[in-house]
Amino acid sequence: MRHPYTGAIAGVAGVLVLAALAAAQGDPPRSPWKYYPMDRAVGDGGPAPKRDLSGTWAGPSSGAGAPRSKAEEQPSLTPLGKQLYDRNKPIGKFSPGGTNDPHTRYCDPFGVPQNMVQEIRGMTIATLPNRTFVLLQYMDLWREVWTDGRTLPTNVGGRGRDTLDPKYNGYSVGRWEDDYTFVVDTTGLAPQTWATKSGYPHSVEAKVQERFHRTSKHDLSLTITMDDPKFYTRPFSIGETHFRWIPNQQLDDFTCIPSEVQQYLKEMGDPAGSDPDAARRPN
Amino acid sequence: MKTKVLVMAAVFAGLASIDGPVLAHHGAAAYDMSKPVVLKNAVVTEFIWINPHPLIKADFKDEQGNVQHWTMEMGSTVSAQLIGWTRTTVAPGDIVTLYVWQAKTRVPVGRFNKVEFSDGTTMRDTQTGADDGGRADTGVRQ
Repeated sequence: MRHPYTGAIAGVAGVLVLAALAAAQGDPPRSPWKYYPMDRAVGDGGPAPKRDLSGTWAGPSSGAGAPRSKAEEQPSLTPLGKQLYDRNKPIGKFSPGGTNDPHTRYCDPFGVPQNMVQEIRGMTIATLPNRTFVLLQYMDLWREVWTDGRTLPTNVGGRGRDTLDPKYNGYSVGRWEDDYTFVVDTTGLAPQTWATKSGYPHSVEAKVQERFHRTSKHDLSLTITMDDPKFYTRPFSIGETHFRWIPNQQLDDFTCIPSEVQQYLKEMGDPAGSDPDAARRPN
Repeated sequence: MKTKVLVMAAVFAGLASIDGPVLAHHGAAAYDMSKPVVLKNAVVTEFIWINPHPLIKADFKDEQGNVQHWTMEMGSTVSAQLIGWTRTTVAPGDIVTLYVWQAKTRVPVGRFNKVEFSDGTTMRDTQTGADDGGRADTGVRQ
């Protein structure tokens, strides 16, 4: 006896098969040179390899389904820190036309720690015997983290022949805390950069600690804290970011180009102006 | 156009998880997000595919016959690419309907919301492309 739903089941199955065929025919060929955000890593991929972060990772806004980031906490400022903070006009409040964010207006480097939070889409980590390189998609920049046992410099930004100059990405050393947690400590940061997009400042002596924790083959998290007694009464969290493994290990190009920013500001950002009520709202 | 429809279908599949309007990373504070201005039968004059934000420029003739020259910004190129935009999605000469969150200063600039093409298809902004001004790219974000 013919089942009463046989026809309907066959019809639905037929539609599904046809839809699959149509989708397959509609898929363009994959290029090894292109990032495909919908080709996501499946599952956790198994246990994380020991003491190994090497590879290319997709962060927030990469379309790879990385878990949501955790924002910075509101820090407790010293009087000097508050004085500097109050000078800064972040874009989220003042818009491109009213901000004095040096990156928004001129493509100036974010520097550490902001470049590990803002626009942190894709990231590659490469390891040499004595150094680990962190290569960021945004701004095509690289950081050097020494793992040869040296300690952080204590003479950055002072006077004298043996002092070191502050740098946008500072001076970094790294160590494995356990088989899955790589800890990076950084100091000697160029003081003209903002620590966060919201305009919190930092001094040359600020100490930033990043904890890269690989929980599986496909999952990596990064938590950042900053200790800067000159401007803050206690250490505070800069945020927590999650990354997912990219199957074909490819990233797209994405950078801030000064000539394009000038065109954008001239034609769009400056004519749009700033929120008339911005100055009355807290940062 | 078929690709646009498929992409938008995928994007809206993710709208169920949308977490309400959020400010664009580049700051939407300068724009009136309460209701978009509708520019019907606007003529695209330029599509400038630049960072930090691509710009759509279009001429719109108002009820009095005066031509308004509009400029509007979108989400970043890499974000827009994730939901199907390319540097040729709109082109000079296209006659379209544009939805724009206008600047509070009331000059003819704003944050792009969505574009309706003459064939009935629609493309939206990533960060302010939902009808309530929220994200329209949650299908490719977490």
